[in-house]
Amino acid sequence: MEKFELSRRGLLMGGFGAASLLALSACSPTASTSDSGSKADLGKVTGTISFAFWGGSDGETAGFKNAKAKFEAANPGATIDLKIIPYESFFSGIDRGITAGKAPDLFRVDYTTIGKYSSAGVLMDLSPYFTDSETKAFLPALWEAIKFDGKPYGVPHQTDTTAIIYSKSALEAAGITSIPNKLEDAWTWDEFSKVADKLRASLPDNKYPFAYNWTAAGAFRWANLLYQAGGSLLTKDLKKSAVNSKEGLKAMNFAKSFFEKKWVPANNIVKTATYSDNLFVAGTAAMTFVGDFQIPFINDVKDGFKGGEWGTTFMIRDKKAASDLGGNAIVARKDTKNPKLAAAFLKFLASEKAMQYFCEQAMELPTLTSLTSKNLSYVIRPDAMATFTKQAATITDAVVKESTVSAFSAINTVLQDQLELAFQGKSSADTLKAMEDGINAALAA
Amino acid sequence: MTVTEAKPIAGSPNGGSTRGIRWRAPKRRSSMTRATSAAAGIFLVPNLVLMGIFTILPLIYAFIISFQKLNSLGGSQYVGGDNYVKLVTDPVFWQSMANTGVFTLFTVPVGMAIGLAIAVLLNGVLPGRNLYRSIIFLPLVVSGVATGVLGAWMFDQNNGFINRFLSSTGLGAPEWQSNGPFALMSIILVTLWQRVGFDMLIYLAGLQGVDPAVQEAATVDGASNWQRFRYVTLPLLGPSTFFLLIMNLIYSFQVFDTVWAMTRGGPGYSTTTVVSYAYRLSFDEHGPQALGYGAAVGVAIYLITLAFTAVQWRFSRSRDQTDA
Repeated sequence: MEKFELSRRGLLMGGFGAASLLALSACSPTASTSDSGSKADLGKVTGTISFAFWGGSDGETAGFKNAKAKFEAANPGATIDLKIIPYESFFSGIDRGITAGKAPDLFRVDYTTIGKYSSAGVLMDLSPYFTDSETKAFLPALWEAIKFDGKPYGVPHQTDTTAIIYSKSALEAAGITSIPNKLEDAWTWDEFSKVADKLRASLPDNKYPFAYNWTAAGAFRWANLLYQAGGSLLTKDLKKSAVNSKEGLKAMNFAKSFFEKKWVPANNIVKTATYSDNLFVAGTAAMTFVGDFQIPFINDVKDGFKGGEWGTTFMIRDKKAASDLGGNAIVARKDTKNPKLAAAFLKFLASEKAMQYFCEQAMELPTLTSLTSKNLSYVIRPDAMATFTKQAATITDAVVKESTVSAFSAINTVLQDQLELAFQGKSSADTLKAMEDGINAALAA
Repeated sequence: MTVTEAKPIAGSPNGGSTRGIRWRAPKRRSSMTRATSAAAGIFLVPNLVLMGIFTILPLIYAFIISFQKLNSLGGSQYVGGDNYVKLVTDPVFWQSMANTGVFTLFTVPVGMAIGLAIAVLLNGVLPGRNLYRSIIFLPLVVSGVATGVLGAWMFDQNNGFINRFLSSTGLGAPEWQSNGPFALMSIILVTLWQRVGFDMLIYLAGLQGVDPAVQEAATVDGASNWQRFRYVTLPLLGPSTFFLLIMNLIYSFQVFDTVWAMTRGGPGYSTTTVVSYAYRLSFDEHGPQALGYGAAVGVAIYLITLAFTAVQWRFSRSRDQTDA
């Protein structure tokens, strides 16, 4: 099995680096984690708790089942009841469970949604269960991502980000032979525009140069363009919208030009049941912006891409390089009957061996610093994972800070509605104004 | 029961006296009535309980929370009529109303006309008519979501069967997913495909209840086939038409599953119907999760549907004769 070494430099010197930690620490109270008087040493744990997750891929499910088996073997008398729930109805089920007092003890939640739960006071504060040395084992920015008011409300379990997957034959046919294989050589917007124009010229009318992954809850990935243009969604104090800016205008105009120049299929919109990876797999788009967690789907023999070989390259860049913070934390319900067992299983999930196995199976990136210098044996396309691993270095401070504010879920709803209207002809200026109003309302709520 | 069947008795405990005379049914008949009433009550109880739990209580609760600001994690705050004020000034709500109106306009009369035509065709002596009836009825037994997913595949503007077929015949490839009017049309077509079987079935039942003697009398009087249909059959199908009109109006106003599976209400708000808007507001986990405001939209849907039903019952001239 081919092995790939995660780039320590990429992860530590980039957005997940010390600068990120310092910046985040400056804007939130310090966590109350200390060795003295903590419950970090949990000792023997017994009982039964439930853990709900969506199996995004067979690899993710295998990773969680492996963790359950290993944990139960190491803790006789402890049982983890796994509940695999479809993603489409996952959080509405969790919400109903929380209001009825019957939610699973543990559940999976993405970094952009965790704030909704932590700010509502329904999650278990993990401060007593983690020592300082244990918290320092995580990539600093990701540990910050699971905090609210300075307290940790989950464990950062894995991360992922966006890069580009392309059909080698389609690009060759268009005469595109120079494809960036280094992060610093990633296509600029201008270079990417030329690539898209070449592809447009070589493809038939019903095929398109690329597809963008902003469908449904992925709407926030439009902000990648905003960050690349030098802008941001929120002001530095995270209190107000900063989207209505000249950088915002540039990013919005660029996004709208995808449709005007027929670079993306007309149905590569926000409100649709067709996702960007579907468009790539169906052969409608020659390239797609996509998260690494989709690699198993694209590589699937039966349902995956059948247009020959496919490769990966880096996210485009403008004034800056930037990509989104993807991935998920695992959290515990505040009123779980067995907090000790819940904390023990959370710690186990975030232990080095369990996390490594999970990431290797699921094609996702680890959150423990120790794993960034370790060889991970990705079971599918380790060469592709190399690109995403390096891309993770472009998850900037701003991305992490803004993506994890407690109102981000509501902000993402505003982005969905307004982007959809922009793609249907609403002017960029009006869209940005409406986004600004909506984001400010979400932050004030 | 009539008064003449009862005998006057004194000291009736029910106090139902008229000019000093108390009336009571014969004892045997009274006990039978009580037994019948008790049996009816027993049979009704399960339905009443289910209706109470799953229809009446949620309805009352929806009214209550429509006056609240309520999020998906349960935090609530009484806001009076704010949600209703917001509703009447919400352009998306009015667009969803207009979309629902257009959808209703195209699905109800067109669906009923097609259903009637097929019913007339399959009511005659036609080889294999049972097979045809089954095939046409089949989409109705498929769930709305499954129909919607199937519709999304068929109307996929890049790789769907419909556009491949249209392109092969030189008719072009409409943008079923990214063009608003085409997207609404695709939902209407899929809905018609699903619903025509129901219309056909009801009309078929109605046609089989038309007395052949009346048709023969019309023929003897010199009526043509069209005249027989127009002036004899169609009026006699009045109860079926009325029933279908009410049911289809309600179905159309409550359309959701097909819309959500096919377009998620997009592009823009082009296919957002009132129910899909209420769902998006309340239950879409990537939406606003504003349960109070969503309930206000739900109450509006309820009142509109109620008004439709009331108006139709009041003005229909061809109501079921047994209801007169």
